Amino acid sequence: MKRLKFAKEKCIGCQLCAQVCSAMKEGEYIPSKARIAIETCYDNGNLKYMDHFCILCGMCAKACPVEAISIGEYIQVDEEKCIGCGACAEKCPKHVVQIRDEIAYICDTCKGDPTCVKTCPQNALTFE
Amino acid sequence: MTNTMLGYQNKVLRIDLTKKGATFEPLRMDFARKYVGSKGLAIRYMYEELEPGIDPLGPENKLFLTTGPLTGTPVPCSGKLSVAAKSPATGTMNDCSIGGHVGIRLKFAGYDMAIFEGKLKEPGYVLIDNDRIRFMDATDLWGLGSHETESILAKKYGPEYSIMSIGPAGENLCVMSCINSDYYRQAGRGGIGAVMGSKNMKAIVIRGTGGVKVNDIVNTTNRIIEILREDVVTEDNDFIFHDGTTAFLEACNDGGILPWKNFSDTTDEKWTEYNGEVLKQYREGKRGCGSCGLGCGNFLKIGDAICEGPEYESISVAGPNAGIRDPEKIVKFNQVADDMGLDTISAGDTIIWAMEMTEKGIHDFGIKFGEADKMIEYLKLMAKNEGVGKDLALGTKRASEKYGGTEFAMQVKGLEYPQYEPRGSWAMSVSYAVSDRGACHMRSYAPNAEVFEASAPPYTGENKGQLVYDLAEFNAIKFSLCICDFWGTITYDIMAELLTRVTGVEWTTEQMAEIGRRVINIGRAFNQREGFDRKHDTVPKRVVTEALKSGPAKGQVIPQEVFDDMLTQYYNVMGWDENGLMPEELIASIL
Repeated sequence: MKRLKFAKEKCIGCQLCAQVCSAMKEGEYIPSKARIAIETCYDNGNLKYMDHFCILCGMCAKACPVEAISIGEYIQVDEEKCIGCGACAEKCPKHVVQIRDEIAYICDTCKGDPTCVKTCPQNALTFE
Repeated sequence: MTNTMLGYQNKVLRIDLTKKGATFEPLRMDFARKYVGSKGLAIRYMYEELEPGIDPLGPENKLFLTTGPLTGTPVPCSGKLSVAAKSPATGTMNDCSIGGHVGIRLKFAGYDMAIFEGKLKEPGYVLIDNDRIRFMDATDLWGLGSHETESILAKKYGPEYSIMSIGPAGENLCVMSCINSDYYRQAGRGGIGAVMGSKNMKAIVIRGTGGVKVNDIVNTTNRIIEILREDVVTEDNDFIFHDGTTAFLEACNDGGILPWKNFSDTTDEKWTEYNGEVLKQYREGKRGCGSCGLGCGNFLKIGDAICEGPEYESISVAGPNAGIRDPEKIVKFNQVADDMGLDTISAGDTIIWAMEMTEKGIHDFGIKFGEADKMIEYLKLMAKNEGVGKDLALGTKRASEKYGGTEFAMQVKGLEYPQYEPRGSWAMSVSYAVSDRGACHMRSYAPNAEVFEASAPPYTGENKGQLVYDLAEFNAIKFSLCICDFWGTITYDIMAELLTRVTGVEWTTEQMAEIGRRVINIGRAFNQREGFDRKHDTVPKRVVTEALKSGPAKGQVIPQEVFDDMLTQYYNVMGWDENGLMPEELIASIL
């Protein structure tokens, strides 16, 4: 199973990953609704990296009380089954699951061909 | 014509600081079609809204933050924000371009522009949290450095917020004060920080969690990714990630345009003591702006000095141009200037002018070439308007009018020279002279053609009016699209394609050139209305009387008549008269 990998020494904090993610998933450039959030900022004189992205750990699927989340080559959320309870978001170690309108939104690596990886300009994101 | 367009938010936020109120209004789409966004749009609004003759430091001046239709999209290098107002340094219009993340945040907050009018009664800051606008007290922040201010506000609000702030220099209305954001990014020139200071506005805090809608988003995004891969993250542009602007040090030294000791000469044989390779050893990380792609920012720590940079300009002015070769001092100079809220170029140029004044015995400013610690200390005095700093805070134009030394006061219209010696790149003397805000290297950058690529002979005035124009036209449209200077390979074809795809309205390649020309003209029209003409398009006497003594451009001096001729050539290309004045019908045609 291929996963997103992040090399922070190559990251320039441009947020293009979140922009293209939201384009493909939400139909507008809206990073606040993206399935990935990699950002940097200066904090107490240091460069800080915040790397929220799915590592396919499966915690969300295990936590789901209605078996709405399945993991094959990538994660799929059955929106019919999902009750938006937020159990998955609570357990997600990368804090990257969003619950909106009683549906869980989780990265599906664009069905195994992640747009963020294709975009990442300095190749800080890889899929391997 | 429809009144909205995809890519834009079609919304302007107007903030009345005097009444502490905010209103929302539609973007002038008639302006947007003619000027696109960012630089051009800001100047068009300034032309419309700033009465001629106003005091740049009075409440009637306005501060314009302007994005463009590409801001917030993944178009690479599109995250910059235009910050504009009438300049207290020059009396001309002044648009700065700030990096970091504040541009995309303003757009995601829902605005193409934010316009700040009037003046707060007490020191305060403005919070723009999507559509919620709040006026906050800044009594406790007043007097603090820009970095401390940003730290306090960042702690209060968190990383989702971008902060623009001024240091003591802006508060004290210094004509070389800047605005900082993300600590190390500046709207640097023309005293734009003093405009904020004059409004008692210490900071602007912005969060935006909304989105930007564009035409045919999936195909548009895929094409943008293709362009990013094929034209931006290429071998040609690799140096930006690896070196950033430190790469220019070698290029300028080799080309004979690296200034030495207040532009009295060029080149430094020991440039490798403080070049990018040295600085790289101290690098802690890389950082670009929002929507970047290239990542020019080098975050480093050397001794107790920290900064993202230093950029070529700061290395030069606090290095060879000051007779200094200590990389730690150069970084410290950069850090202190940023924190004090001073433009490194103008503040640096003023101190090195004072060094020469002292060494020549014209006036004792108590500082000589090579005195790095004192140079850093002087920044604080200038920002706080104390002691010798009071005189130096005037800048080279006003200080030299008071104490002499005008012939080597390196400035045009009251804005100090950037770090490219024009005697080694003759067109640059005209670029500085005709730039819409005084001596600026970003308006028309001649060293590429004249020195680095050597596609035009550097030591002649022939065809230089056209060269300066061609470069200026290109940058004027590029910066009106909010595209960073570093995407050097972008073409009018790519610009037109991106605008067309994003907005869903056709923009042609020919239009890009037309808009570029129009942007130059509207800037000139603003300045002409303020009384500027040929006699203000000047060159420092040193450049036309003293031959360079060293380096590849040794022996070069630009004869005054050649400078005059280049200027006339430029006016001819622009369709301006012999005095550099635009005919009324030309002005009418661009409004």
